[in-house]
Amino acid sequence: MLVVLFVPSVERDGTTPIDQDRWVDAALEMFGRAFGGATAYPKAKGVWRDDERNGALVKDEPVVVHCYTTRTDIEDSRNLAELGSFCRTMGRDARQGEVGLVIGDEYFAIREFTEE
Amino acid sequence: MKARLDMNKIARGLRAERKGKVFAGGGYFGAMQLLADIETRFRVPAGGGRATDPDWTERRLVPLAPRTLKRLEAITEGIKTRSGVNVEPMQLAGLLLEKTAEQLNEDEVNDLALNRARTVRWSGRRLRPAKPTGSLNWRTR
Repeated sequence: MLVVLFVPSVERDGTTPIDQDRWVDAALEMFGRAFGGATAYPKAKGVWRDDERNGALVKDEPVVVHCYTTRTDIEDSRNLAELGSFCRTMGRDARQGEVGLVIGDEYFAIREFTEE
Repeated sequence: MKARLDMNKIARGLRAERKGKVFAGGGYFGAMQLLADIETRFRVPAGGGRATDPDWTERRLVPLAPRTLKRLEAITEGIKTRSGVNVEPMQLAGLLLEKTAEQLNEDEVNDLALNRARTVRWSGRRLRPAKPTGSLNWRTR
Protein backbone atom coordinates (compact mmCIF):
# COMPACT_ATOMS: atom_id res chain seq x y z
CA MET A 1 0.00 0.00 0.00
CA LEU A 2 1.39 3.38 -1.01
CA VAL A 3 0.90 6.55 1.05
CA VAL A 4 1.94 9.83 -0.54
CA LEU A 5 2.32 13.08 1.37
CA PHE A 6 2.97 16.46 -0.20
CA VAL A 7 5.23 18.74 1.82
CA PRO A 8 4.77 22.30 0.54
CA SER A 9 7.44 24.95 0.08
CA VAL A 10 5.37 28.07 0.68
CA GLU A 11 2.54 29.27 2.85
CA ARG A 12 -0.99 29.61 1.58
CA ASP A 13 -0.20 33.10 0.27
CA GLY A 14 2.03 31.46 -2.33
CA THR A 15 5.06 33.63 -1.54
CA THR A 16 6.19 33.16 2.08
CA PRO A 17 8.65 30.25 2.21
CA ILE A 18 8.33 27.64 4.94
CA ASP A 19 11.06 25.57 6.56
CA GLN A 20 10.48 22.73 4.12
CA ASP A 21 13.56 20.72 5.12
CA ARG A 22 12.36 20.56 8.70
CA TRP A 23 8.93 19.31 7.65
CA VAL A 24 10.41 16.74 5.29
CA ASP A 25 12.65 15.41 8.07
CA ALA A 26 9.73 15.36 10.47
CA ALA A 27 7.56 13.55 7.92
CA LEU A 28 10.24 10.91 7.33
CA GLU A 29 10.61 10.36 11.07
CA MET A 30 6.85 10.06 11.51
CA PHE A 31 6.52 7.61 8.60
CA GLY A 32 9.50 5.62 9.82
CA ARG A 33 8.11 5.39 13.34
CA ALA A 34 4.51 4.61 12.46
CA PHE A 35 4.73 2.82 9.14
CA GLY A 36 8.24 1.41 8.87
CA GLY A 37 9.87 3.78 6.38
CA ALA A 38 9.51 6.38 3.65
CA THR A 39 11.33 8.06 0.79
CA ALA A 40 11.41 11.78 0.06
CA TYR A 41 11.89 12.70 -3.57
CA PRO A 42 13.60 15.84 -4.87
CA LYS A 43 11.51 18.97 -5.20
CA ALA A 44 8.75 18.89 -7.76
CA LYS A 45 6.64 21.69 -9.17
CA GLY A 46 3.08 21.99 -8.03
CA VAL A 47 -0.01 24.13 -8.05
CA TRP A 48 -3.06 24.22 -5.79
CA ARG A 49 -6.29 26.13 -6.37
CA ASP A 50 -7.39 27.95 -3.25
CA ASP A 51 -11.17 28.05 -3.60
CA GLU A 52 -11.53 30.10 -0.42
CA ARG A 53 -9.49 32.87 -2.01
CA ASN A 54 -11.45 33.18 -5.24
CA GLY A 55 -9.61 30.33 -6.90
CA ALA A 56 -6.17 31.88 -6.45
CA LEU A 57 -3.49 29.53 -7.77
CA VAL A 58 -0.77 28.77 -5.23
CA LYS A 59 2.37 27.63 -7.01
CA ASP A 60 5.08 25.89 -5.04
CA GLU A 61 7.81 23.29 -5.12
CA PRO A 62 6.56 20.44 -2.96
CA VAL A 63 8.61 17.50 -1.81
CA VAL A 64 6.70 14.27 -2.38
CA VAL A 65 7.17 11.67 0.34
CA HIS A 66 6.35 8.06 -0.48
CA CYS A 67 5.69 5.50 2.22
CA TYR A 68 5.18 1.85 1.36
CA THR A 69 3.23 0.23 4.15
CA THR A 70 0.81 -2.56 4.90
CA ARG A 71 -2.97 -2.61 5.06
CA THR A 72 -2.76 -3.45 8.75
CA ASP A 73 -0.55 -0.48 9.54
CA ILE A 74 -2.54 2.02 7.51
CA GLU A 75 -5.82 0.96 9.15
CA ASP A 76 -4.35 1.04 12.66
CA SER A 77 -6.11 3.79 14.59
CA ARG A 78 -2.97 4.89 16.46
CA ASN A 79 -1.02 5.21 13.22
CA LEU A 80 -3.87 7.14 11.60
CA ALA A 81 -4.03 9.45 14.60
CA GLU A 82 -0.29 10.10 14.39
CA LEU A 83 -0.42 10.72 10.64
CA GLY A 84 -3.46 12.97 11.00
CA SER A 85 -1.88 14.89 13.85
CA PHE A 86 1.30 15.43 11.84
CA CYS A 87 -0.69 16.76 8.89
CA ARG A 88 -2.68 19.12 11.10
CA THR A 89 0.45 20.42 12.82
CA MET A 90 2.14 21.02 9.47
CA GLY A 91 -0.98 22.61 8.06
CA ARG A 92 -1.35 24.94 11.03
CA ASP A 93 2.31 25.89 11.59
CA ALA A 94 3.12 26.24 7.91
CA ARG A 95 -0.11 28.18 7.29
CA GLN A 96 -1.56 25.90 4.63
CA GLY A 97 -5.01 25.89 3.11
CA GLU A 98 -4.97 22.13 2.74
CA VAL A 99 -2.66 19.21 3.40
CA GLY A 100 -3.01 16.45 0.82
CA LEU A 101 -2.48 12.73 1.22
CA VAL A 102 -2.95 9.90 -1.23
CA ILE A 103 -3.62 6.53 0.37
CA GLY A 104 -3.96 3.65 -2.04
CA ASP A 105 -6.11 5.01 -4.82
CA GLU A 106 -7.81 7.79 -2.92
CA TYR A 107 -7.00 11.44 -2.21
CA PHE A 108 -7.63 12.76 1.31
CA ALA A 109 -7.68 16.44 2.19
CA ILE A 110 -7.05 17.79 5.67
CA ARG A 111 -8.30 21.33 6.02
CA GLU A 112 -9.22 21.57 9.70
CA PHE A 113 -5.98 21.99 11.63
CA THR A 114 -7.16 22.28 15.22
CA GLU A 115 -6.35 19.42 17.59
CA GLU A 116 -9.23 18.05 19.65
CA MET B 1 -10.34 -11.54 -3.05
CA LYS B 2 -9.01 -9.23 -0.39
CA ALA B 3 -11.40 -6.80 1.23
CA ARG B 4 -10.90 -3.23 0.13
CA LEU B 5 -9.40 -0.72 2.50
CA ASP B 6 -12.01 0.92 4.68
CA MET B 7 -11.54 4.45 3.36
CA ASN B 8 -14.22 5.89 5.64
CA LYS B 9 -12.38 4.52 8.66
CA ILE B 10 -9.13 5.99 7.37
CA ALA B 11 -10.79 9.36 6.79
CA ARG B 12 -12.23 9.33 10.31
CA GLY B 13 -8.86 8.33 11.79
CA LEU B 14 -7.11 11.13 9.95
CA ARG B 15 -9.95 13.60 10.42
CA ALA B 16 -9.68 14.14 6.71
CA GLU B 17 -12.14 14.56 3.90
CA ARG B 18 -12.30 11.96 1.14
CA LYS B 19 -11.84 13.95 -2.04
CA GLY B 20 -12.04 11.15 -4.57
CA LYS B 21 -10.13 8.51 -6.44
CA VAL B 22 -6.86 9.04 -8.10
CA PHE B 23 -6.64 7.02 -11.26
CA ALA B 24 -4.56 4.16 -9.98
CA GLY B 25 -4.97 2.32 -13.25
CA GLY B 26 -2.64 4.63 -15.08
CA GLY B 27 -0.27 7.54 -14.91
CA TYR B 28 2.23 8.32 -12.22
CA PHE B 29 0.17 7.16 -9.24
CA GLY B 30 -0.93 4.04 -11.04
CA ALA B 31 2.65 3.06 -11.79
CA MET B 32 3.84 3.85 -8.27
CA GLN B 33 0.91 2.02 -6.71
CA LEU B 34 1.58 -1.00 -8.88
CA LEU B 35 5.22 -1.05 -7.85
CA ALA B 36 4.27 -0.63 -4.20
CA ASP B 37 1.84 -3.53 -4.44
CA ILE B 38 4.47 -5.77 -5.98
CA GLU B 39 7.10 -4.85 -3.40
CA THR B 40 4.89 -5.15 -0.36
CA ARG B 41 2.82 -8.18 -1.32
CA PHE B 42 5.10 -10.53 -3.17
CA ARG B 43 6.97 -12.92 -0.90
CA VAL B 44 9.24 -15.86 -1.62
CA PRO B 45 7.32 -19.00 -0.57
CA ALA B 46 8.62 -20.89 2.45
CA GLY B 47 9.69 -23.79 0.23
CA GLY B 48 11.53 -21.49 -2.17
CA GLY B 49 10.69 -20.50 -5.73
CA ARG B 50 9.42 -17.36 -7.36
CA ALA B 51 8.11 -14.55 -5.16
CA THR B 52 4.34 -14.33 -5.20
CA ASP B 53 1.37 -13.09 -3.20
CA PRO B 54 0.67 -15.78 -0.57
CA ASP B 55 -3.07 -15.06 -0.89
CA TRP B 56 -3.09 -16.07 -4.54
CA THR B 57 -4.14 -19.67 -4.10
CA GLU B 58 -6.40 -20.09 -7.15
CA ARG B 59 -5.03 -20.99 -10.56
CA ARG B 60 -6.90 -20.63 -13.86
CA LEU B 61 -5.98 -20.63 -17.50
CA VAL B 62 -6.69 -17.21 -18.96
CA PRO B 63 -6.70 -16.77 -22.75
CA LEU B 64 -4.83 -13.70 -23.96
CA ALA B 65 -4.21 -11.98 -27.25
CA PRO B 66 -0.53 -12.09 -28.25
CA ARG B 67 -0.37 -8.30 -28.15
CA THR B 68 -1.59 -8.30 -24.55
CA LEU B 69 1.09 -10.77 -23.52
CA LYS B 70 3.72 -8.68 -25.33
CA ARG B 71 2.51 -5.57 -23.51
CA LEU B 72 2.68 -7.34 -20.15
CA GLU B 73 6.19 -8.55 -20.96
CA ALA B 74 7.27 -5.03 -21.90
CA ILE B 75 5.87 -3.57 -18.68
CA THR B 76 7.48 -6.18 -16.44
CA GLU B 77 10.79 -5.70 -18.25
CA GLY B 78 10.50 -1.96 -17.64
CA ILE B 79 9.76 -2.52 -13.95
CA LYS B 80 12.78 -4.80 -13.65
CA THR B 81 15.10 -2.38 -15.45
CA ARG B 82 14.02 0.74 -13.58
CA SER B 83 13.40 -0.59 -10.10
CA GLY B 84 15.09 -3.98 -9.94
CA VAL B 85 11.79 -5.60 -8.97
CA ASN B 86 11.16 -8.98 -10.59
CA VAL B 87 7.62 -9.71 -11.60
CA GLU B 88 6.38 -12.16 -14.20
CA PRO B 89 3.98 -11.04 -16.95
CA MET B 90 1.14 -13.23 -15.68
CA GLN B 91 1.70 -12.07 -12.09
CA LEU B 92 1.25 -8.53 -13.37
CA ALA B 93 -1.90 -9.70 -15.18
CA GLY B 94 -3.23 -11.12 -11.91
CA LEU B 95 -2.52 -7.88 -10.09
CA LEU B 96 -4.20 -5.74 -12.75
CA LEU B 97 -7.20 -8.07 -12.85
CA GLU B 98 -7.55 -7.87 -9.09
CA LYS B 99 -7.34 -4.06 -9.08
CA THR B 100 -9.90 -3.66 -11.83
CA ALA B 101 -12.28 -6.12 -10.20
CA GLU B 102 -11.99 -4.28 -6.87
CA GLN B 103 -12.55 -0.89 -8.47
CA LEU B 104 -15.84 -1.88 -10.09
CA ASN B 105 -18.62 -1.09 -7.68
CA GLU B 106 -21.99 -2.84 -7.60
CA ASP B 107 -23.76 -0.09 -9.55
CA GLU B 108 -21.22 -0.31 -12.35
CA VAL B 109 -21.60 -4.09 -12.47
CA ASN B 110 -25.38 -3.74 -12.64
CA ASP B 111 -25.11 -1.12 -15.40
CA LEU B 112 -22.77 -3.37 -17.31
CA ALA B 113 -25.12 -6.32 -17.02
CA LEU B 114 -28.11 -4.19 -18.00
CA ASN B 115 -26.39 -2.78 -21.06
CA ARG B 116 -25.24 -6.19 -22.20
CA ALA B 117 -28.71 -7.61 -21.73
CA ARG B 118 -30.16 -4.82 -23.86
CA THR B 119 -27.69 -5.09 -26.67
CA VAL B 120 -26.36 -8.63 -26.94
CA ARG B 121 -28.02 -11.98 -27.24
CA TRP B 122 -25.50 -14.72 -26.72
CA SER B 123 -25.77 -17.58 -29.19
CA GLY B 124 -24.64 -21.11 -28.60
CA ARG B 125 -22.20 -22.55 -26.16
CA ARG B 126 -19.21 -20.67 -27.48
CA LEU B 127 -20.64 -17.37 -26.33
CA ARG B 128 -20.47 -15.54 -29.62
CA PRO B 129 -22.41 -12.30 -29.57
CA ALA B 130 -25.43 -12.52 -31.83
CA LYS B 131 -26.03 -9.92 -34.50
CA PRO B 132 -28.18 -7.09 -33.29
CA THR B 133 -31.74 -7.15 -34.50
CA GLY B 134 -33.96 -4.21 -35.36
CA SER B 135 -32.77 -0.88 -34.06
CA LEU B 136 -30.91 -1.98 -30.99
CA ASN B 137 -28.75 0.74 -29.59
CA TRP B 138 -25.16 -0.50 -29.36
CA ARG B 139 -23.35 1.19 -26.56
CA THR B 140 -19.79 0.97 -25.51
CA ARG B 141 -18.48 1.40 -22.01
